[in-house]
Amino acid sequence: MTGQHQIEDLLRELAPRVLAMLVRRYGQFDACEDAVQEGLLAAALQWPGQGVPERPQSWLLTVAGRALVDSWRADSARRRRETAAALDPAGHTLAADLAISHAADLAGADRDDTLALLFLCCHPALSQPSQLALTLRAVGGLTTAQIAAAFLVPEATIAKRIVRAKQAVRDAGARFELPDQPQRTERLGVVMHVLYLIFNEGYTTSSGPALLRTDLTAEAIRLTRLLHRLLPDEVEVAGLLALMLLTDARRAARTDADGRIVPLADQQRDRWDAAAIAEGQAILIQTLGTGPVGPYQLQAAIAALHDEASTAEATDWPQILALYDVLTSVAPGPVVTLSRAVAVAYVHGPRAGLALLGTLDADDRMAHTHRLEAVRAHLLEQAGDTTTARNSYLTAAKMTASLPERRYLELRAARLHQPPPTSGPAGRLAFRDRTRMRHGQPADPANLTSQVLPGGRENTPWAPQNSWLCTVMT
Amino acid sequence: MKYMIMMFGGLGAATQDRSPEWIAGMHELLMKLDTELKESGECVASESLADPGQARTVRFTGGAPVPTDGPFAEVKESLAGYWIVDAQEERALQIASRVVAYTEYPMEVRPIMDHSAQP
Repeated sequence: MTGQHQIEDLLRELAPRVLAMLVRRYGQFDACEDAVQEGLLAAALQWPGQGVPERPQSWLLTVAGRALVDSWRADSARRRRETAAALDPAGHTLAADLAISHAADLAGADRDDTLALLFLCCHPALSQPSQLALTLRAVGGLTTAQIAAAFLVPEATIAKRIVRAKQAVRDAGARFELPDQPQRTERLGVVMHVLYLIFNEGYTTSSGPALLRTDLTAEAIRLTRLLHRLLPDEVEVAGLLALMLLTDARRAARTDADGRIVPLADQQRDRWDAAAIAEGQAILIQTLGTGPVGPYQLQAAIAALHDEASTAEATDWPQILALYDVLTSVAPGPVVTLSRAVAVAYVHGPRAGLALLGTLDADDRMAHTHRLEAVRAHLLEQAGDTTTARNSYLTAAKMTASLPERRYLELRAARLHQPPPTSGPAGRLAFRDRTRMRHGQPADPANLTSQVLPGGRENTPWAPQNSWLCTVMT
Repeated sequence: MKYMIMMFGGLGAATQDRSPEWIAGMHELLMKLDTELKESGECVASESLADPGQARTVRFTGGAPVPTDGPFAEVKESLAGYWIVDAQEERALQIASRVVAYTEYPMEVRPIMDHSAQP
């Protein structure tokens, strides 16, 4: 099994380099991208049985190159003329080209190629879903099937999305090259945002049917690590990598054994990944202050403060609030205000937090998200206003599109409500009776209760206090 | 044969006055069943829909399609979620019964049309 994983890792690392070499030599990004996918498939089939070739990159380049030529041959007569033009006049054979590419690679020239590839996949002309899918395939080396599994959509959907994405690249006349300054800073912002979205997609849906999913979070971290290696002086790239590591470190503790959300304040901190926290901290320490501070670095610093607290009570909320104040001045927005309101509540009390939340009521950007209502519910509960808090939880539960979140919010609401004595236990009794009748055997009440509530009361998410959804999501 | 097992929006309204234990029990049952059906290979697809309050309905009004807020059906009749299973009808009814036994709220089981022509 380890061998299989090593091969996969190696292929994903080689994929963007080989693609970049083909594109640099032949243009035609979309045809080259298909050819590399064929090469990856061939390697995935052959390497586990026959062993990894001595020079895997050359092997992949040769097979992908051959696939490219085959696709040209299979194409129209026009394409055939292009092939002839590409291969003959200069006396080049494909093998000679590949040899040159290989030499260039050894000289380290593929650094800019991989970057150019990232910029191309995150071209502003592409829709956001297309940017994500294309980046994962062309730079991440994932197959269409893996990407589809990760996003929980049919494979055909991703396949079409990639075809459209490549068409958009072509239509936009996007060039395989590094954008010039000052465009480059702006384009780098898009690349970072795409990586951030890939991370979030994996992180916020990590309680889904995990068995079927390719780990998007790990893939986002891998690609951001790559970007950080290529651009070590870009402090915000470092900040983004640190943010991902410091956030992902808490993943194992975010849900319980039954996939239910566990708020930050109630997480078992010994389940946090100490190595990831240490790495995130180290990156942050190295880069903070070496350039203008940006939103990714600030969010990473806030995440680091949460990670450093040995208990929820030990959290340095005044410092977190101070960082949110800086974040508000660097990158103001409703989401930042929302998070800041939580910090304000911890430092100055829930009513102060609620007052700040009130400033978001008129904000259209907040009108369609459940987050505002969810945070308000937590703060109201904290302030002791259970009736209003319950209504806010129910409103938030109706607004969210996330099933684990809806379940969490429904439970928080139910916790604040004393049901009439007939509706609760009686319903369960009826269930027991019917089960017994259907199966024609006496039901063991204890056994059934454990089937319905396997974690027991102490593990259920309505027991904890002081837990605010917003900080769960940070 | 494939069957769609349907849950309706009224269930959400009916659970609002239940105890946290009852609601946790329902979540538990639905998640357990979903996992079982996926692991047994009977589940073709399953989805939960957002609250009917999030729905918009496009109606033909004044000679043109116009989107309006709210679901097409009454909230309590509005689709809330479904499983599509590849199984015998008896099995599909058994699956629905497991949920109804707990929730005491009705579910519908209906065959899905086949795309192939009958000989």
